[in-house]
Amino acid sequence: MYGGGNTFEGIKTDSLAQEDPQKLAEFEARIARGEKIEPTDWMPELYRKQLVRMIEQHAHSEIIGALPEGTWITRAPGFKRKLSLMAKVQDEVGHAQLLYSAAETLGKSREQMIDDLITGKSKYSNIFNYPAFTWADSCFISWLVDAGAIVNQLANAKGSYGPYCRALDRICAEESFHLKYGHHCVIYLASGTEKQRQMFQEALNRWWPPMMHFFGPSDKISAHTEVLMRWKVKMSTNDDQRNQFLDMYVPKIWELGFTIPDPNLKKNPETGRWDYTEPDWEEFKRVINGDGPCNKERLEVRRVAEERGQWVREALKSPSLRYVTPLA
Amino acid sequence: MLLNRSIAFMMKPIDPRVNRLPGFGQGSIQPKAPLDQLGTYEVFVQAKEGKPFQHEGIVHASDIELAYILAKETFTRRFTCVSLYVTETRDVYVSPLTDGQTSSYELLPPATAGNGPTEAYEVYHLVKRGKQHVHVGEVMASSPQEAMHSAKEKFGAGKVVYNVWVIRKSNIRYTNEADKDLWLTLPEKKYRDAADYKAGDKLTAFLERVKHSV
Repeated sequence: MYGGGNTFEGIKTDSLAQEDPQKLAEFEARIARGEKIEPTDWMPELYRKQLVRMIEQHAHSEIIGALPEGTWITRAPGFKRKLSLMAKVQDEVGHAQLLYSAAETLGKSREQMIDDLITGKSKYSNIFNYPAFTWADSCFISWLVDAGAIVNQLANAKGSYGPYCRALDRICAEESFHLKYGHHCVIYLASGTEKQRQMFQEALNRWWPPMMHFFGPSDKISAHTEVLMRWKVKMSTNDDQRNQFLDMYVPKIWELGFTIPDPNLKKNPETGRWDYTEPDWEEFKRVINGDGPCNKERLEVRRVAEERGQWVREALKSPSLRYVTPLA
Repeated sequence: MLLNRSIAFMMKPIDPRVNRLPGFGQGSIQPKAPLDQLGTYEVFVQAKEGKPFQHEGIVHASDIELAYILAKETFTRRFTCVSLYVTETRDVYVSPLTDGQTSSYELLPPATAGNGPTEAYEVYHLVKRGKQHVHVGEVMASSPQEAMHSAKEKFGAGKVVYNVWVIRKSNIRYTNEADKDLWLTLPEKKYRDAADYKAGDKLTAFLERVKHSV
């Protein structure tokens, strides 16, 4: 589960002047032809850096994103829901493994990535810094947060970096179960008792603003992405992805009789795009910088997990072990 | 107009597992001890009998047996699988990566005669950039370099191969007969499939109910 472009950090293209112009031209021509870049191919440092940042954030988002849903496994209503949610959470952690491996092919070790997550140096998707108070919150995540992630991941699967695309192909195939499971859960709540409907409506009210943040800052204020689009690191803009999500899922939410908590949300017949209340980007910045309702809890869970697993890693140490950068 | 946020405050953990964790909230966040930089193992999966093995990715593990188990969990939780194998990344011998009409076999350094015993090697080809390496067969050789040249003679004629991997078979942890039980229950785990979540009838009934209540 991940929405791209979730920081305001700009990119400095100055380093491109240091690159070999002939190699840079060949690299760009390869991408323009639709070919994939593989780990041992020449690539500009900026491309490598941006990919590491993006894939690493994606991996962290999968592993942190498993936490708010994971807490609902024991309280999911009935054995079948528990089984499904457990499988989904296992998938999310598995996705993190695939993504860490893809990032490792670019030269950053998994250990360094985990360190950067725990110390707060690396970011993850902002939406997971919000709490899942009720079962309906968990259902919202399974259906709509995963739906948002699929919009983002299907686009990125057509990107230029081979190992990331291959990981995303596998992840997207698995996410289709998550989406159908989440929709199934919400249909049951929607067609259930008044109390169940109210529970989902309240979850929708809580999660809609973070959901609008999910695709990252508005194109009007987000960092310049022209070079990243040209290199197929980023495949569509934040606003385009947000619009695609609204196109696909607002009608489904309305169909179930729920009210989306934005009085300005409507499809503009002239532009063919959605009008909506501008999300609160100040809150987005505040939360991504550590001041959200659950930031501390999320990182603390990871820290305690690392601490409690230390004796296992100690026991597994062997002089013959050697870390080698993955091949592809 | 900006949307109002209702929960923009730091809150106590609501995860019951977190509340039970000893030491929760008492530690400072420090880089962890450098202990889990385990070995990397490459994973190859066979989806169906008769289909070639294909490279799927890597796992981190402390030894090859654990790598095998982690590979099973990471790459074969769903979809069909009849076999997989793992080998340490450092045991995969890699040719130069090429593109266009240049075959990687053309860029091999001259063969040097190995002085070790002749052994069997698995051979993998990358024939489409962006896709996975796929198994093409095995060769006998006394060194990895010689195995590359044997693979060229046996499998390299008349086609462009962008990358070649050879792996000494003695360095591979294969699936044995007893392991095949691992995947027998895969078809029963329908809760992992999107197709198991059909709610069309329930949705239709709900929409009908709403229509009649208006």
